[in-house]
Amino acid sequence: MEVNKKLLSEIDGLELSASNMKWRAAMKAAEWSLCADRDKLAIKSWKETVGEDIQIRRAKLFKEVVENLPISILEFDQLAGRPTRKVIGCCAAIDVAGDYIPDLWDDTEVLGVTMDAAARVDRDTIETLRESVRTFSGPTAPEMTYKAWEAAMGAWPKQAEAAKLKDPSLDSAIFGQCTSTVNFKKILAVGLRGIINEAKGHIEKWHAESCTDIDRLYFWQSTVIVLEAAINLAHRYSALAAQMAEEEHDMTRASELREIAETCAKVPENPAESFHEALQSMAIIGVCKCLEHPPHANPHWGRGDQYLYPYFMNDIQSGKLTLKRAGQLLADLIGRWGTQTMVESASQKESHQINFCINNMMLGGLNVEGEDMSNELSYLMLHMVGLLKLSSPTVCLRWNQKTPDWLMEKAIRTNLETRGGIPLFENDEKVIGSYVRDGIPLEEAVEWCGLGCIYPCLPSRAEHYGAEGVAAFNMGALLHMTLHDGLDINGVQTGLRTGDPRSFKSVDELYDAFMTQLKALVKKIFDLGAIARKVEPKYMRLPFLSSISVQGCMDFGQDLVDPMPDYSMYGISDRGIIDVADSLSAVKSLVFDKKVLTMDELLTALDSNFEGERGEEIRQLCLQQPKYGNDIEEVDELARRISADSAAAITSYDNSPFRNYIVAREGLAWHYYGGLGAGALPNGRKALEPLNDGALSPMRCCDKCGPTAVLHSALTAGFDDSYASVLNQKFSSTILQSPDSMHKLIDYTNAFMKAGGTHIQYNILDTEQLKDAKVHPEEYPDLIVRIGGFSAYFVQLSSDIQDDVINRSEFMI
Amino acid sequence: MSSTFVSNIQNYSIHDGPGIRTVVFLKGCPLRCRWCANPENLTPGTVLGFLSRLCQNCGRCLRACGHGAIVPGEGVYRIDREKCVSCMKCAELCFAGALTVYGKEMTDEETFRKAARDKIFYDESGGGVTVSGGEPLTHPEFVSDLFGRCREAGISTCAETCGCVPWESFEAVREKTDLFLFDMKFADSELHREYTGVGNERILENARKLASAGAEILFRRPLIPGVNDGREETERTAAFIRSLGRDIGLELMPYHRMGAAKYEALRMEYAMGDLPPLPPAEAEKTAEVYRQLGVDCRVSK
Repeated sequence: MEVNKKLLSEIDGLELSASNMKWRAAMKAAEWSLCADRDKLAIKSWKETVGEDIQIRRAKLFKEVVENLPISILEFDQLAGRPTRKVIGCCAAIDVAGDYIPDLWDDTEVLGVTMDAAARVDRDTIETLRESVRTFSGPTAPEMTYKAWEAAMGAWPKQAEAAKLKDPSLDSAIFGQCTSTVNFKKILAVGLRGIINEAKGHIEKWHAESCTDIDRLYFWQSTVIVLEAAINLAHRYSALAAQMAEEEHDMTRASELREIAETCAKVPENPAESFHEALQSMAIIGVCKCLEHPPHANPHWGRGDQYLYPYFMNDIQSGKLTLKRAGQLLADLIGRWGTQTMVESASQKESHQINFCINNMMLGGLNVEGEDMSNELSYLMLHMVGLLKLSSPTVCLRWNQKTPDWLMEKAIRTNLETRGGIPLFENDEKVIGSYVRDGIPLEEAVEWCGLGCIYPCLPSRAEHYGAEGVAAFNMGALLHMTLHDGLDINGVQTGLRTGDPRSFKSVDELYDAFMTQLKALVKKIFDLGAIARKVEPKYMRLPFLSSISVQGCMDFGQDLVDPMPDYSMYGISDRGIIDVADSLSAVKSLVFDKKVLTMDELLTALDSNFEGERGEEIRQLCLQQPKYGNDIEEVDELARRISADSAAAITSYDNSPFRNYIVAREGLAWHYYGGLGAGALPNGRKALEPLNDGALSPMRCCDKCGPTAVLHSALTAGFDDSYASVLNQKFSSTILQSPDSMHKLIDYTNAFMKAGGTHIQYNILDTEQLKDAKVHPEEYPDLIVRIGGFSAYFVQLSSDIQDDVINRSEFMI
Repeated sequence: MSSTFVSNIQNYSIHDGPGIRTVVFLKGCPLRCRWCANPENLTPGTVLGFLSRLCQNCGRCLRACGHGAIVPGEGVYRIDREKCVSCMKCAELCFAGALTVYGKEMTDEETFRKAARDKIFYDESGGGVTVSGGEPLTHPEFVSDLFGRCREAGISTCAETCGCVPWESFEAVREKTDLFLFDMKFADSELHREYTGVGNERILENARKLASAGAEILFRRPLIPGVNDGREETERTAAFIRSLGRDIGLELMPYHRMGAAKYEALRMEYAMGDLPPLPPAEAEKTAEVYRQLGVDCRVSK
């Protein structure tokens, strides 16, 4: 594709508009607010619909909420549509997850919202939330699923969660597709009215053909209810904007408000005909998605640079829209979606380590003809995220052999601009290849998007990653159990009795015991998933999301939460492989090859957390054994073997009638959470310390042979069995001090990807700067870091994670 | 096959020749530049460094040393260099990383194998292998063998040299070297002698011969404020480069203090004292003077 170079250079000169700056200042200064308006309306609706079908009940609840929720347009808003009236406001999800907010019953005026954010709440809010618990708690999908799990496996599921062997917990309320992408392309093309007509067509046909499957009728009826309600919400914004325009003295603002009024009267009901209308339509859809299901309130962008491109280019070329205004509108929505939040469950707070919901933005990538689709809008999106410097969205560049140099240059510059991690690079050809290998048609595979950081998903299918309480399992915790004959970190017999390692004659025996534990765990948690799949649809439905995402839902009249074999995807992230590889490498070398220690001496040191008389000496011995990340074939191959054996256990599970599970090792800040499931390990890591981050990142401070050695290790370990394999590399900003050295980082990235690398992302930071940021957080509010696939403000990370970032070997060049 | 002492093989080096390179640091140098950033490479063979900052006073080294060369001191230990026989047993046991060994004997084959790992990065970026030091051309046979292997594997080669070696050493590697990064510390021989211990006659002579032999050359100058960045020295250097009759560029390397900690580790005195690093902007001014004098000059970043 021929790119307009002049437009690119104009984009380079673009700055944040006054309204964007004003929003940013307000956002940073804002007190977080927890708004119970949604709960009040949900309670009212739920009481009125007792006895009705779950599909209709959830639709009516949604209607009650979006048609009556108090709304606002803030002074800097260029687009209308926020889930609460505040700059940073969050909703609770009691109607979805039950009694999941532990401090709700304390005598408190402050409720914890995310990892370290809290919201001041008044008496009325507390009372509403408690009333919501009394109304909804009990027969919610998570609570009922836990009951089913208990009936099937007794105390085991709770034990496994307490030992951090698996996550997420069910009260995180992840359901099918809720973390995935909306079909914005369709919404922009036909409008919600078009989709309503589609549903009505199905209803007519259902009656005409005297069908009997009542669930399908209910589904299409629910679609009409929720989409009409969404249109009404837009109309309410339109009326509010018109009224505000009347009262506005500032002529410029009055005209902006009138434009909002006109736009909201038209979209999302009707097809969008301009870039502005397209973004406004998306803003309303984003609000509705959040109000239907506050957990994961993140409206992922998906391939925004593709579906928005025609609107953008038409408006720019016709002169209807200035580049400045396009940037302003885009930044408005990027900022708004990047600062959505919710009241998280306790385990979510621990495992996610973030304050804003992750939303994902994909850039570039191949089409079905094998052409790279990067365009001027990809460039503008990068530019705007570079200016905004937010921790969300996660921006992913779909790297492929045809990714143009101009986009790579902008990408590396944006990494420097944002201090790293934006965008990250994902091997497009590899991901598409994995899908095709697993039987997905190419035309579907090329549309892959990311969710979280960065789990690939297909917009054409319902992604059940995490939906049944199964998104990840913890190899660090599994190794702990193997070393203790099946006892978990809490001393409970959660694993199999695979024998006391003191009796093992070789490292192979230990490896086999580990794999036995792993296979047993995989079987059990996938069985739990299968049970959850049966229970959840009885108590939860997502009619709005089902109407606007997977086409199969509309075609077959079935809700996303009720999985359809042809349209559902299942996956899991098996985490901690490098911890296990390094640990087994140390056991082999110390106990069996060099015989420096007996197994008893090693295990005793681990059990004392390296604190006994010889503790520190043994820990140092452990640390000095061959580690992944240094281009040492033996340990890199061991990582490859663990990867392959684990993947085989996962993909061979019989998940019929659904597709088998795929493996996708995405990262998050999960390694902190994962670390809580493992005592001291033979790699020299102390008890409860974080595991290694990502999937292919080396152990902290143990990659001593320079950056390319890390990449060789990653390439040897391969992880070709996984759709995603997060690899973080931290660099000092000294490597990007000239255009020449910047280009070398592009070459470095290209070489790694061409050799088969899956994922790479860079932290570009100075250690001193980080240490200083830890002491003086107020001076570094903008400092972004990347951990396992997502970025966060450094100062918002927990102290442990901050140390982790600081400790990661920095390659001073 | 030949072997020599290698102190470091550093991958993803981006300032020592074109593209992404691996720099192989060899030991031993005929010069004693006061600002040397790699003092550990001055002597041939291995040398023991001691970073007292990292010492945890565990006493393992004390027990390991059979020669009484480790002396318990106030707070931290120190090495008695007279008694030390460089057996390095102490360093093997130093978990804190305070005792560190500079220099390991390696064959050209071993070195090549390590460096060749990064071929994918060289191919992508137009990079390759650079030998540095110390003075790599004090090991002409090793460099020749290493570069011969590189040539066979299609890997580009670059030698960073101070120029102060017999011309035969250049001859030994010239055909296998794609680029010489040729240090030009002073055009003035007296100053050269004062700051490096050696006059520059042989260096300039080698530069002339190398230039007329048609080798690819980039001159490099560590730019030391107040030492070799004055007007007169600049003019003489520019005149010398122009006198070679070819368009040979000059790269200025602004003075930095990165090596200072190594002096402490080696119990050597850092002759530059507290001289602050030269800001690149200052170096840029000097580069501009060179350009006005007709030399293609840039500042290394």
